[in-house]
Amino acid sequence: MASAFTMTSEVSLSAVREQIKPSRPQEFSGNTPSLAVKVRGLVKRYRDGTEANRHIDLEVRRGEVVTILGPNGAGKTTFLRQLSTELRPTAGSITVFDADAIKEPAHAKRAMGITPQEAGVFERLTVREHFEFFARFKRLPKKAARAAAHEVIADLGLEAETNRRVGTLSGGQRRRILIGLALLGHPPLLVLDEPTTGLDPSSRHAVWRVIRRAVSDGAAVILSTHYMEEAERLSDRIGIIAQGRLVAFGALDELLGRLDRSYRLSYRNPIDPLSETCVRYCVNFAEAQTHVVREKLSEYSIARASLEDVYFTLTGEAFDKDEKGEAACLE
Amino acid sequence: MPRVTDIACVFRIQLASMRRELGPFLLAALIFPSGMYLFANAVAGAEVRLDQNRLRFLAASIVFSLSLTSLSWLGYLLLENRFTGRLKLFATLPIAPSSYLLGVLVFAIAQAMLGTVSLLLVGRALGVHMQPTFVLLALVIALTILCLCGLGAIVSASARSFSQGSLLTDTLGAGLVLLAPVYYAPEMLPRGARVFAQLLPTSFAARAVLTTLAGGHEIGGDLLALLLTAAVTLTFGFKLMKWRED
Repeated sequence: MASAFTMTSEVSLSAVREQIKPSRPQEFSGNTPSLAVKVRGLVKRYRDGTEANRHIDLEVRRGEVVTILGPNGAGKTTFLRQLSTELRPTAGSITVFDADAIKEPAHAKRAMGITPQEAGVFERLTVREHFEFFARFKRLPKKAARAAAHEVIADLGLEAETNRRVGTLSGGQRRRILIGLALLGHPPLLVLDEPTTGLDPSSRHAVWRVIRRAVSDGAAVILSTHYMEEAERLSDRIGIIAQGRLVAFGALDELLGRLDRSYRLSYRNPIDPLSETCVRYCVNFAEAQTHVVREKLSEYSIARASLEDVYFTLTGEAFDKDEKGEAACLE
Repeated sequence: MPRVTDIACVFRIQLASMRRELGPFLLAALIFPSGMYLFANAVAGAEVRLDQNRLRFLAASIVFSLSLTSLSWLGYLLLENRFTGRLKLFATLPIAPSSYLLGVLVFAIAQAMLGTVSLLLVGRALGVHMQPTFVLLALVIALTILCLCGLGAIVSASARSFSQGSLLTDTLGAGLVLLAPVYYAPEMLPRGARVFAQLLPTSFAARAVLTTLAGGHEIGGDLLALLLTAAVTLTFGFKLMKWRED
């Protein structure tokens, strides 16, 4: 069996990120402060006693993308719902561009474009009508609303569907409409809860493009996702929530630096080549190679630990069931 | 504070949706109530020759139309907005919850006016003799709609599921008209049910509509009752509506 060897160096990863990163944010128009979001001691305790968010502190600056990662039920959506003023926190404070989002939700929402994880659209309205009406809600004058609708439709690749009723569109197209509604009027803060879930790769790239453009215009973006690639590609900083706590927050390189064993050796058992893939974390490349030689591995790969590895380490989550072989062999 | 632009936008969203569902609207606002008018005439037999009876059946059918288009249909719409996540979409916007509710109410009133005018034309075509006082009639229609929409808002905000809510709005939409002495005289009800039935908003509405269709003006008591009911139901409905969760 031919040997397989893959290595993703830190340098190449940074280069890739640099290549796809947006140009640095320009000054945002108006007198909006540089700090878009400031969260302090945020706690959400539901009536049944469940503590969905525990003392979360976080800041988001203008011109940056902050991605929130975490397992299902970890408290990501609860956090974003509080930020978007939909859910009242039990304790703590949320400031959006110096406005108290808890006491003055309507005021804070004027600065926000929000895409909830789940929201309905008006099936009998056309795509254009959706955008025009919602642009008016965002206080754009008629002509500007029309222009904003046109711009968002083009940005999200929905031109062919402009006059189609939303009820006839696919789930992915509807999702793009929800994202487009948040983008209307160029709000200085975008709060997007799993914006690209259910989108095909080209739609996902279209959404990334518009997010990058918003950021390059000076907007702050805070989004949640389950896609590590999305987090790696889009984010300036990444937060990981586990069991309601923000267990890590920083740039990708900072998070990777938190791993003691930063090399990932994936291999198949040489005695049983049909077995599931096993994973071993090593302190350095040499240790990984030593293991390959000692175990006489023929099919393996060595790579720098990725965000996914950080995620699994920090959340204490086992690998997904589809990868239970890996979990079983995890060393 | 509600904004006129926001109210107008909510109104236009409802209007655009309704335009594409004109069939069901005509059925609820015009065809079914017209059928009920003919049915009541047929059941009344010889008595239908009395103009007063025909006028009562027309007034009853107008109230039936109002109930179906406000409580049943708009209640259903509010339920749909809540359970399909559209309310959440509104909640992401910097608009006051009262703008949403006012937009829906203004639309309901406009829709009711349209249905009422259509039924008056049907009445004329069927030879019903009437001398409507239009201003008073419009006031009665508006207050009736506010009452019924308030009930619809309470049901839609407190229903535990979509199916439970839609069953309730449908049942109430028809039930409030059939239980109240609208198509028949109050004396035909058992004594125990009479007081209860006469306290239903549809009873006040039917009496007021009948009076204004006959050219009368003595509807102060009914208007006051409708106004109080509307204030109570709308306040409760608005309070129950979950714009922001705790």
